[in-house]
Amino acid sequence: MKEEIQRSVFDYLSEKGIENFVGVPDSTLKHFVDQGLKKKRTTITTREEEAIGIATGMSLSNSSSLVFMQNAGFANSLSTITSLVQMYQIPIIFLIGWRGYLKNDAPEHTKIGTIQPKLISTLGLESKILTDGNWKKTCDWALNKIKRGKFCALVIRREFVD
Amino acid sequence: MIRREAVEVVANSLTSKDIAVSANGFISRDLHEAKDRTMNFYMIGSMGLASSIGLGLAIKNSKRRVYIFDGDGNILMNLGSIVTIGSLKPKNLIHIVFDNSAHESTGGQPTNSAQVKIDMLAKAANYKVFRVNSKIKLESILKKIKNMSGPIFVLVKIEKNKYVSRRIEMEPTLIKTRFMKAISR
Repeated sequence: MKEEIQRSVFDYLSEKGIENFVGVPDSTLKHFVDQGLKKKRTTITTREEEAIGIATGMSLSNSSSLVFMQNAGFANSLSTITSLVQMYQIPIIFLIGWRGYLKNDAPEHTKIGTIQPKLISTLGLESKILTDGNWKKTCDWALNKIKRGKFCALVIRREFVD
Repeated sequence: MIRREAVEVVANSLTSKDIAVSANGFISRDLHEAKDRTMNFYMIGSMGLASSIGLGLAIKNSKRRVYIFDGDGNILMNLGSIVTIGSLKPKNLIHIVFDNSAHESTGGQPTNSAQVKIDMLAKAANYKVFRVNSKIKLESILKKIKNMSGPIFVLVKIEKNKYVSRRIEMEPTLIKTRFMKAISR
């Protein structure tokens, strides 16, 4: 996703009521994360589960939260998603960078990149792919979920190799 | 002092405005049995995350004190949390760790808190740190920290014991809605 679109995604979600952006940085999401750091709205944590915990405490205080992470971190978080977010029904938007989307991405991303769509659907986590073309409409979908007390995931594909 | 007693002492020191979040396993059961309050958030599952949830609550509820009822096994599972708490320095966060150097909820298997001092890790992470090993000392520290600004870390050394508090029968979503309603007042 283009740099200016990532920055716009941050600004849009922020304007529309997301107050907290908590997570672990990912190169796929770097401009989104950077925009949040610039605006002093982003908290970087040591692990993804920790970010979900902090966002949960904020959501319990009626303050809307988004948790960002790479899909490796999404795999780290499975138990937290099932036994915290889903069990207590905590409204959180997950923003996940999809490493291993390209076949020639680094080897550590191959397996998780391949199983990721299935993993998300097995969890019963509603998700949409966020692109340069659909970002506003897709953000609105996620904002609408969170307003109704639901959780959901937005996924950004890693479409370059460095 | 055993865990159930120590949890009760801390629970009884809370004012009606204080928020409490308790770690999964026996600690949540103890808090629920000792002093059920609408402003208690009982964790069931998600081992390690009580302190993170407590941090999120502390940031968003700056006019209330947030007490985290944690265990040694629990905090060892999410040690990064003390680094994040120590860097954000919430003044209203009180982190109580009940330390029996064991995973008591799963059968008393050892943790390594007897080899590595968790309170010293907390000290390095900018907490104000206290260590107590008796009921009298715990009561006195709890009074002392009432007007102190955080983050505060109290390591409560406890003995292993077979006592198990009753299960929490409340549905998790009810624990949540009751808690949210209580803290929004």
